Amino acid sequence: MKLNFNNHTLELTPIGKSYRVAVGEKTALVEILRAENGRLDLLIDGKRIIAYISFDNTKRWVTINGQTSILTKSSDTRKSGGSHVHTAGELTAPMPGQIRAVHVREGDAVSKGQTLLILEAMKMEIRIQSPMDGVVKSLAVKQGQTVEREQTLITVE
Amino acid sequence: MPPFSKILIANRGEIAIRIIRACKELGIKTVAVYSDADKNALHVQQADEAVHIGAASPKESYLNVEVLIRAALASQADAIHPGYGFLSENASFAAAVESANLTFIGPSADSIRAMGDKAESKLRMKEAGVPTIPGYEGLESMDDFKQAAKELGYPVLIKAAAGGGGKGMRVVEEEADLTEAILGSRREALHAFGDDRLLIEKYIPDAHHIEFQVFGDKHGNLIHLFERECSVQRRHQKIIEETPSPLLTPELRKQMGEAAVKAAQAVGYYNAGTIEFIFDPQLSTFYFLEMNTRLQVEHPVTELTTGLDLVQWQIRVAAGERFPYSQEQLTQRGHAIECRVYAEDPANGFLPSTGKLLQYIEPRGPGIRVDSGVRAGDEVTHFYDPLLAKLIVYGESRELVIRKAQAALRDFIVHGVVTNIDFMQAVLAHPDFVSGRVSTRWVENTFDWKPPSAPSFESLVAAALADFTIVNRQSKIENRNEHDPYSPWKTLNGFRN
Repeated sequence: MKLNFNNHTLELTPIGKSYRVAVGEKTALVEILRAENGRLDLLIDGKRIIAYISFDNTKRWVTINGQTSILTKSSDTRKSGGSHVHTAGELTAPMPGQIRAVHVREGDAVSKGQTLLILEAMKMEIRIQSPMDGVVKSLAVKQGQTVEREQTLITVE
Repeated sequence: MPPFSKILIANRGEIAIRIIRACKELGIKTVAVYSDADKNALHVQQADEAVHIGAASPKESYLNVEVLIRAALASQADAIHPGYGFLSENASFAAAVESANLTFIGPSADSIRAMGDKAESKLRMKEAGVPTIPGYEGLESMDDFKQAAKELGYPVLIKAAAGGGGKGMRVVEEEADLTEAILGSRREALHAFGDDRLLIEKYIPDAHHIEFQVFGDKHGNLIHLFERECSVQRRHQKIIEETPSPLLTPELRKQMGEAAVKAAQAVGYYNAGTIEFIFDPQLSTFYFLEMNTRLQVEHPVTELTTGLDLVQWQIRVAAGERFPYSQEQLTQRGHAIECRVYAEDPANGFLPSTGKLLQYIEPRGPGIRVDSGVRAGDEVTHFYDPLLAKLIVYGESRELVIRKAQAALRDFIVHGVVTNIDFMQAVLAHPDFVSGRVSTRWVENTFDWKPPSAPSFESLVAAALADFTIVNRQSKIENRNEHDPYSPWKTLNGFRN
C-alpha cells in the first residue's frame, strides 16, 4: 500500500503483525502496540514512540515527543502503483484481515449506513457499511475468509 | 464571612476562570458574562450564573460598560472584577462601577487615570524621584532635536508622543541619520495617530523588561512582591516570563522594589499593580517605563514564588480588608517560569491561528500549573486574544525549572490550531535564554527560528499507520458512542486489547 504525505511517498507492507514502512531510502519495521482515540503507541525499529494524531480532512496533525507536524495527505494515486479506481458502491478491505461476519446476501435491499460485513484486522473489528441506499449487487467474500488489503468485498448499487 | 456575596467577572477565557476559582475558594458566588461566540465557553460553565452581553465583537460585549453594569445589578452582584485587558485599565469603567454602588476590584479610577497617560505618568514619576529614561518632550526644530541627541548621547530613540505599538519609532545611531529619522517618524506618527509630536530618548541597547508586582490595601499599606523578568517578547507581546530575574542582585532588587513602591505611592495606589522598568544590563541601571494598573497575565509566577494568592487578596482588599504582611515578612522562594501558549504561527509572522481544537491535552505533574480557558472541541475564533493557556512551572532553581518547562511543553498537545509551543521549546533551549541574555528585541533581531522544513520520519510513519488502521472513507461507519460522526477514530472503538 502506498500513501503520500507532504510529497513523501510511504510504502507499507504487512509482515506478520508488523509493517515494513519505506520512505525513499529509509525503511523501518513498525508495530502498533496500542491504538486509542487520537493516539498510537508504535514500536518503530524497536523504539517506542507515542504519536498523537488528529484528522482534519486531508490534514493530519501529528505530535511526537512534543514536536507537532501538520501533514497533508495527497490523493494523487498516480504514484500508488497497483491501486485502481473503485466505483462508489464497491467496498474494499481497508487492510488485510479476516471476515468475521456477513450480514447480507446478494440481491438484498440495503440502506445507507447499514452494516454489511465485519472485518477483523489488527485486533480491531471494522464494520463495512453501505455508502448508500441500494441493492447488494455482488458479494465476493464468505465468513472466515482471509482478505488482502484493497480486495473487493461487496458491491452495492 | 466572605468579603462579597457575589462577584461579576467582566472578562472571558483563562483569567475569568482563574477569578472564578478564587471566588469559589472564598465562598463567593460568581456571575460570568459571555458574547455570542462564548455561549458554550468554559468560563460560562464554571460560574454559578451567566449573563449574555451581546455580539461576538468585543465592542458590543466585553467592552460595553453599560451592559456590564446592568448585568451586575440585575444579578445582584456586589462587585466587578475586570481581569486584564478589555476594561481593566479604563478609568471611566472603574468610576461607573463605583457610581452604581458596586465595588471595582482594582485601584481607584484616579490612579488608573494618572498612570494611563504616558506623558503625564512620566512627569509624575520624575517628581516622585523614580528614575525615568533620559529624554525630552515638546521639541520642535531640527536644531533642538540635534542638541537634545548630543546631550543624551547616541544612540537615541525617536518615538511618537501619541502612540504605541512601535509606530513612528526609530533608533538613530549617529547624527548623520537624525534628520531623516525625524522626518520619517513624523510622517508615520501623523499617519497613524493624526499627531506628529515626537519624543526623543536615550536608546538602551539590549534592554531587559523587568517589572515589579506591587500590592496595596485601602489602609495605606503598600509593598512589592519582587520582580518578573519578561524580556522574551515579540512586538511588545510577552511570551515567556520568570521570577527571579537572572540579572538582579539582592542590592538591585531592593533598589528597584523601593522605586516601584514609591511609584505606586505617588498615585495613591491600592490593589494589585505592576511597575514596568527598562533595565540596562551593561550599566545595571533601570528606568520607569509604565505602570499596569491591574492584575497581570503573568501573575502566577509571583504567586508560586511568594506563596500568596494574588486574586484572592485583590478581592479581600477591595472589600476593605487589611493586607497583613509587611515587606520584611515577604520572601521569594524557588524559581518559576510561565510560558504563554498562543494560537499563533511563529513561522508566519505570529499570525493568529483559528479553528477547532481537535485535541487538547495539558501536561501535569509536580510543580506544573496550567491556567487555561479552553478544552478539546472548542472553537478558537479571531474575535479575542489568541492566548489558549499559560503553563507555569515551579521548582528549586532556574536550571531545574527550565528543564521542567521543557518536559511539560513536550506533554502539551494542541491540534487544530497552530501554536507557539515548538517555538517556546526552541527559546528555552537557546544558550542566550539559558544564560539570561535575552533582551526585549532578541526574538526579532537575534533569534532565528524556523520550523523543521521536512516532517520527521516518525511522524510520516505515524500518519501513514493512522490512515492505514482507519477504514476506507467510502463506508461511513456510524458509531453510537461518538458525538462526531466524522471522527476517523470511530473505527478504532471496536478495538479489543
